[in-house]
Amino acid sequence: MAETATSPTAIAWVPRGAWSGSTRAGSFGAEGVSGIIATLLGGFGLATLIAGTGGASSLSQAVERRLGIVLPATPRIVRGQTHDAIWSGPEQWLLRAASRDGWSALLGELAAHAAVSEQSDARAALRLSGSQVRKVLAKGVMLDLHPAAFAVGDAALTSIAHVGVQLWRLPDGPDGPVFEILVARSMAGSFWSWFSASAAEFGCTVTAG
Amino acid sequence: MRITCPHCGARDAQEFSYLGAADPKRPDGMAASAAAMAEYVYQRDNPAGRHRELWYHGAGCHAWLVVTRDTRTHAIAAVEVAKARKAGAAAKVGAKA
Ligand SMILES: [Zn+2]
Repeated sequence: MAETATSPTAIAWVPRGAWSGSTRAGSFGAEGVSGIIATLLGGFGLATLIAGTGGASSLSQAVERRLGIVLPATPRIVRGQTHDAIWSGPEQWLLRAASRDGWSALLGELAAHAAVSEQSDARAALRLSGSQVRKVLAKGVMLDLHPAAFAVGDAALTSIAHVGVQLWRLPDGPDGPVFEILVARSMAGSFWSWFSASAAEFGCTVTAG
Repeated sequence: MRITCPHCGARDAQEFSYLGAADPKRPDGMAASAAAMAEYVYQRDNPAGRHRELWYHGAGCHAWLVVTRDTRTHAIAAVEVAKARKAGAAAKVGAKA
């Protein structure tokens, strides 16, 4: 057989968002209502920072000097202009950047003060709002998310339907409380299975943020 | 049952894994007698009442905790971070040296 190479197939590496394959922009559930607004987040930089024994203060100083935010010592999110720090356990934090510009250089600097692990594509992130947001979360979260018990800026490590999650509360929006939730990327499908079943009765609008 | 993690606050027991009694101390390696090692590995008191035990907050902050629980009622009298106890022991050893 003659060798033919008429139309070589170009290999295209296409970046996939953490939610692709699980969901997309649109709406589902009860018609004519939108009690839940789910915003699929992407494009952020994310890294874990783990201070060595006795190293938390040098890390904290470096982060404050560089980014102007103070690492929280309790389960909270501290938000800056471009970067957020989220408590992730004793002497551990997540650092989130609004964009990945200069991200690896920043992580290189911080690596002098902590064990730094790049996680930007390792988590699927979701922002939840809407008038029924606490009702849908109440179906899976074992924490009291009432505004009196879970204040703006509070954060928690817990699980929803056996999926480990990290969540926190942002300042209220027009429909009340706003939460962000991170799950391991490999669990995005399982999480969405719980979420879509739980949110359907309220009507849910999904947007890509 | 809810356990109040010193890091995370009150959480349902399903977020934690139970290990067992917190107080048995491993005898000193090769110097220990077979009887002392057997005691350490196998013998537990199984008290009806106050019990100090290790729990791991696996679905939360990943810290090991020492929980003092009444085995009859599940009432929890104290929860400490196990690492702090270890640091305290190290400090004591350091003071002795
Ligand atoms: Zn905890």
